[in-house]
Amino acid sequence: MDRTSNFLTRRDALKLAAMAGMAGVVTAYPGRHSFAAADQTLDLAVERTRITVDGVTSNAIAIGGSIPAPTLRLREGQEVVIRVTNRLNEPTSIHWHGLLLQGVMDGAPGFNGFVPIRPGETYTYHFKLRQAGTYWYHSHSAGQEQEGMYGAIVIEPAERDPVRADREYVVLLSDHTIESPNSVLRNLKVSEGYYNNKKRTLVDFFRDAQRDGWSTTVQDRLDWAEMRMDATDLADVTGYHFLVNGKGAKDNWTAIYKPGERVRLRIINGSAMTIFDVRIPGLPMTVVAADGQNVAPVKVDEFRFGVGETYDVIVLPQGDKPFTFFAEPIDRTGYARATLAVRDGLEGEIPERRPRAILTMADMGMSHEGMDHGAMAGMDHSKMAGMGAGAMPGMDHSNMPGMDHSKMAGMGAGAMPGMDHSNMPGMDHSKMAGMGAGAMPGMDHSNMPGMNNGSMEGMAKAAASSNDQAMGWADAGTPPGAKALSYADLKSLTKAKDVREPTHEIEVRLSGMMSRYIWTLNGNKFDEGEPIRVAYGDRVRIRFVNETMMAHPMHLHGMFMELENGQAGRLPRKHVVLVPPGKTVSVQLTADEPGEWPFHCHLLYHMASGMMTRFIVERRSASL
Amino acid sequence: MRLHTRTLNTAAALLTGATFLSLIGTAFAGAGEPGHGHTTAAIGEPAKASAAKRTIQVELGDNYYKPESVQVKAGETVRFVLKNKGEFLHEFNIGTADMHAAHQKEMAMMMEHGMLTATGINKNMSGMDHSKMGMAEMKHDDPNSALVGPGETKELTWKFTKDTALEFACNMPGHYESGMVGKIAFTR
Repeated sequence: MDRTSNFLTRRDALKLAAMAGMAGVVTAYPGRHSFAAADQTLDLAVERTRITVDGVTSNAIAIGGSIPAPTLRLREGQEVVIRVTNRLNEPTSIHWHGLLLQGVMDGAPGFNGFVPIRPGETYTYHFKLRQAGTYWYHSHSAGQEQEGMYGAIVIEPAERDPVRADREYVVLLSDHTIESPNSVLRNLKVSEGYYNNKKRTLVDFFRDAQRDGWSTTVQDRLDWAEMRMDATDLADVTGYHFLVNGKGAKDNWTAIYKPGERVRLRIINGSAMTIFDVRIPGLPMTVVAADGQNVAPVKVDEFRFGVGETYDVIVLPQGDKPFTFFAEPIDRTGYARATLAVRDGLEGEIPERRPRAILTMADMGMSHEGMDHGAMAGMDHSKMAGMGAGAMPGMDHSNMPGMDHSKMAGMGAGAMPGMDHSNMPGMDHSKMAGMGAGAMPGMDHSNMPGMNNGSMEGMAKAAASSNDQAMGWADAGTPPGAKALSYADLKSLTKAKDVREPTHEIEVRLSGMMSRYIWTLNGNKFDEGEPIRVAYGDRVRIRFVNETMMAHPMHLHGMFMELENGQAGRLPRKHVVLVPPGKTVSVQLTADEPGEWPFHCHLLYHMASGMMTRFIVERRSASL
Repeated sequence: MRLHTRTLNTAAALLTGATFLSLIGTAFAGAGEPGHGHTTAAIGEPAKASAAKRTIQVELGDNYYKPESVQVKAGETVRFVLKNKGEFLHEFNIGTADMHAAHQKEMAMMMEHGMLTATGINKNMSGMDHSKMGMAEMKHDDPNSALVGPGETKELTWKFTKDTALEFACNMPGHYESGMVGKIAFTR
């Protein structure tokens, strides 16, 4: 590996444009403007700086002089040379998120022979662009990305762009904390609940339950009151400012349009830890690309946005009334806000904030089939708000005396067939407000003497989810009639090149021990378990089994994953797949990029605490 | 191809059930504009191919037109030859932006109910006359529009009567938004 900065020949130097482009989203590195010159080298310095968000200034790291870093406007087919100079007093790196390239150029330290760029050194990245679309770049070292080392990459297609717009903007979302990433991680290690009033979670419980069996664990440890779902299960770091293109909600980054124009927004979730729900009230968005790859256009009112993902949307704003771009983190601890307006200085209305979803049994990955709840004496179900009982067939609740169901607000009893509630004496169902008793066939409530059903107010016939109660991780609080993007909607605009059935399947269990803030893949911290090995050219399926109560945006470097969402022949190509809590999501891919690729959860502190492995694509040995 | 109305009402009821009927009925009840096909006079009128002195070749792709705009004269009759080189179903519809917006809702509805798919017209349900069902627009045989399947070539001949703000557009869900629309400019 040549680490010197001047091996470039004239021929190698490229047609590389680091300009803000027509939209003027970010300012380019001062003095480096060069418009579509044939041969050009881009220089990016990494250096400490200060960032001011809504009037508060704190420490940060900039690439190319700004936060976010300059938007790299490139063209498919170009050879790109980017010289990165480290002016920090710690090692750094830049990873080109979503780009197909040779392993060492991927920029992840410890993989593919890439060594971190040491202080004072310059590393020269050199790769040919084999794709078009919206991507981004960020540090892959320690917590530097959190401190401001992120920027957009926009690659114009070599052929006609299937999407036409009158103007376009990069909308890069991020989360900013005035704390240093190291202290965030230290706090999480000391107490996972540091940012959440020290509430514990169910992870340990499930581990014990696996080991000791349900009844023992239930008897010994189950204190439902203590285990109520909380913010910690949606997001584990709070105290963030949420930024749009480096600007806080009060700073109000503004995109200018002329009424009637077709505006393309290249929206990037460059957060360290934040999954957003994104909407522009009054302005439908037509999603035309996901993770840089064109999809058949789908018109939505909002979408959920995993860390590392990108969506390109088209909006057609009419009139001169400003529109508010609104992105709420799923734990609803704040919002990112920007404005689309006909001129600067206008503000749209801030929409009503959505309620935080209350996690349900389904989010815990519990399969309730055949559970034996026998001998659950003396359970205190108070404070079990918002249980969504997805599919709990065949439960035997016999022998549950003395249960106190008071304060069980909002049970959604989706489909609970065949439940036998015989022999449940002395139940107190008072104060069970809002039970949704939709579709509970075959329940035998005979022999339940002494039940106090007084004041069971508001038992809904169907489990209606009201506006002020969001049930389950997937419930974004989308109002009736509004359309939220679903992964199932994503359909590649172009047909799959390789439609072979996968020849083998790799299971990746997403697991963790919240109490010690250890996050793992298949139970192993990074480099403690076996890496994943596949043969070059193989068609493989990866099944993500999320055993945790958090969603994990799983990111594979080097190759696109084709999300198995039912769009046969046109599975959408993704570099990040958001795996909801308790759910299984599968992808296919053709292992056609040899190398040793990082494969990790893109929540920065999950990756930092072990949720990463090596995905090795090796050429078949000739000696076989 | 237009099937007998009564047969179709029955077929529709069988296929989709009461939900379909009530849903569509509601959706279209009180729709102010009766839809294109009734208001074509202002935008021009269909004509015979033989009446055209000029032919414009239009390529339809995923999701674009080539050319992206055309020039016509008031009073001129133009024959459009529409070739779909894409992999999806596309439309070539002459109308005002408002007409297109209204038609987009209808086509989204047709997609939702399976009369149209991303790649073609559902043969079992196309050409249905739903006029007796309070959904006069739920057919796709408007004179100012042609639906062109992947690989197909179709023609549409149109007489542009007067200078007005017109677009040719594909109203398949999402296509207009992603830029599959072109300006019809009037020249002297």
